Amino acid sequence: MTGAALAPPAASVRLRLLAVVLALGLAMAAVAGQLLRLGVSGGASGRVASLETVVRTFARPDIVDRRGRILATDVAANSLYADPAVVLDRDEVAEKLSRVLPGLEATELRALLADRNRRFVWIRRGLSPREAQRVHDLGLPGLSFRREPKRVYPVGALVGHIVGQVNPDNRGIAGLERHIDETAGLEAVSGASPPLSGPIRLALDLGAQHAVADELRLAMQRYSATGASAVVMDARTGEIVAAASLPQIDPNVAGAHLDPARPDRLQSGVYELGSILKALTVAMSLEDGLATLDKTYDVTKPLTFGRHQIRDLHPPGRPLTVRDIFLQSSNVGAAMLGLEAGTSRQLVFFARMGLLEPIRTELGPVAPPLLPERWDGIETATISYGHGLALAPLQFAAAAAILVNGGRRVAPTYLRRDGEPGQGEVVLKPETSAAIRELMRLNVTMAHGTGRRAEVAGYRVGGKTGTAEMPGVGGYREKSVISSFVGAFPMDEPRYLVLVSLFEPQSGEGTSGGITAGLNAAPVTGAIVTRIAPVLGILPRGIPVAP
Amino acid sequence: MGRMFAVAAGLAAVGAAAAVYAVKQETRRVESEVHALERAIERAESDIAGLKAERYWLGRPERIDQLSREQGLGPIHPTQYVRPPPAAKQSPSARGVGQ
Repeated sequence: MTGAALAPPAASVRLRLLAVVLALGLAMAAVAGQLLRLGVSGGASGRVASLETVVRTFARPDIVDRRGRILATDVAANSLYADPAVVLDRDEVAEKLSRVLPGLEATELRALLADRNRRFVWIRRGLSPREAQRVHDLGLPGLSFRREPKRVYPVGALVGHIVGQVNPDNRGIAGLERHIDETAGLEAVSGASPPLSGPIRLALDLGAQHAVADELRLAMQRYSATGASAVVMDARTGEIVAAASLPQIDPNVAGAHLDPARPDRLQSGVYELGSILKALTVAMSLEDGLATLDKTYDVTKPLTFGRHQIRDLHPPGRPLTVRDIFLQSSNVGAAMLGLEAGTSRQLVFFARMGLLEPIRTELGPVAPPLLPERWDGIETATISYGHGLALAPLQFAAAAAILVNGGRRVAPTYLRRDGEPGQGEVVLKPETSAAIRELMRLNVTMAHGTGRRAEVAGYRVGGKTGTAEMPGVGGYREKSVISSFVGAFPMDEPRYLVLVSLFEPQSGEGTSGGITAGLNAAPVTGAIVTRIAPVLGILPRGIPVAP
Repeated sequence: MGRMFAVAAGLAAVGAAAAVYAVKQETRRVESEVHALERAIERAESDIAGLKAERYWLGRPERIDQLSREQGLGPIHPTQYVRPPPAAKQSPSARGVGQ
């Protein structure tokens, strides 16, 4: 037995051993091969994985106008970064890159690449395809591209103040872009993936927006104005269908919203708006039963408050009815109405019209109204004709909408509202609103109305002019004014409210040397209505049409 | 008998390994196909986004305005409206449909 156990293994056993050895050898070779493959090709994916924790960008929803036309969208763009540990010659990289990427400082780049402990350094975000190709052609080791979303604004400056801007990470920092971040939220993405959420639909109509901006641009040239603004608001819902403030900002230019020379005058500044506030004063008197349109006031003499006098630009020389106070824009008459009502009644009425509390829109808080430190006597009188109370034009437009829409409060919004209009709180009697509509229409149709240059055949425009001297050192500047026109159309059932303001206009074509609103802001409003009414689907009435 | 069973088990193990390997290879192939498709979709989406932006850039109102004025066109005037012909005002009656 022992001899048999120590005998050399039989051939079959050797064969089996050989098979086992071969199998093990093959298995080891497979493992070695796999390791080799991973060693050769697996490095890049490992680096990308580590990159994901460092870099986060955000996909944003499109912003579209009320008809679905794109105002802001994401496109994929290449962003350039470097791995300083892999860069061989940082001087060469800095020098060559600064040559193909304008604005890139070679010294700064050299300093960035000096720290070899860092594995990731952004060099330039959102390159154009041509710039990316130029960098690629340099063939420099240590540089890589990353595809990420880049915000673009196809219509540019036309909607610059409204859409706002984003930072290089595609996060909103101004305007509606910031509102989207604060309300809708964003999706963090690792590449240039499109957003999953649907577009943000604005109330804005791009065609109307262009017409408004174009007419303001022409007006600035014609009257050598330093600025201009206009808002067109649905008087029933508060939807803003056009809003422009010139000079505009181009959201495609980084940091444009910070330019102090290009403020959004509609929302971020407060101004004394002058006689357009007389519409509120007359409405207050009618609403509280203090006056009727036919009640007469003796406006022949200036009103005196100590050393201050309130007088009319063109004294009428006869008593005026409330109707004529409005149509002739009498400061003395408006002051008398205000004084008759008294300070407390005026405060209550202005508060009801939403003029004393700060408001906000999707673009952020509207500049709060600047109230007089002391509101009594002379302030009550001057505020009645639009001096002494500074308002953001948008806040005044919301109050003016109440005057013409039957008395319902509206909240201005840049977003499209679905549903039935007219849900706001009623703060004014419908009869008062009807009377103001009548006065506004008369002011445009009557031969001596200050707003007659706003008339557009067929569209039944109505409105009120206002020319306010701008404050300066030691008092008001007579030659620097803000000319405004607040109008609505069609006046028999107003759908849209228009507020146009020209800042520091000079005399121009057809003004006979004058700078009052009836000579400049009123015709600009007429020109705007002519262009936007067809765009907004308002049909002309009462003029011959082709059969 | 035991040897036969061992051989059969060995063959079965080899067969199973080969099947697993084949499935794995197929999975990898499908995975790479999926990745390729995903990349293609991403490229297509990126192209669509770019083209959309370009379309609205080309159709921006100030450009259309300028082009149309060069063609002698301008904003519509209130007198340019026409009344629709009487036939267009009437909705087709149910009886008339299909006749």
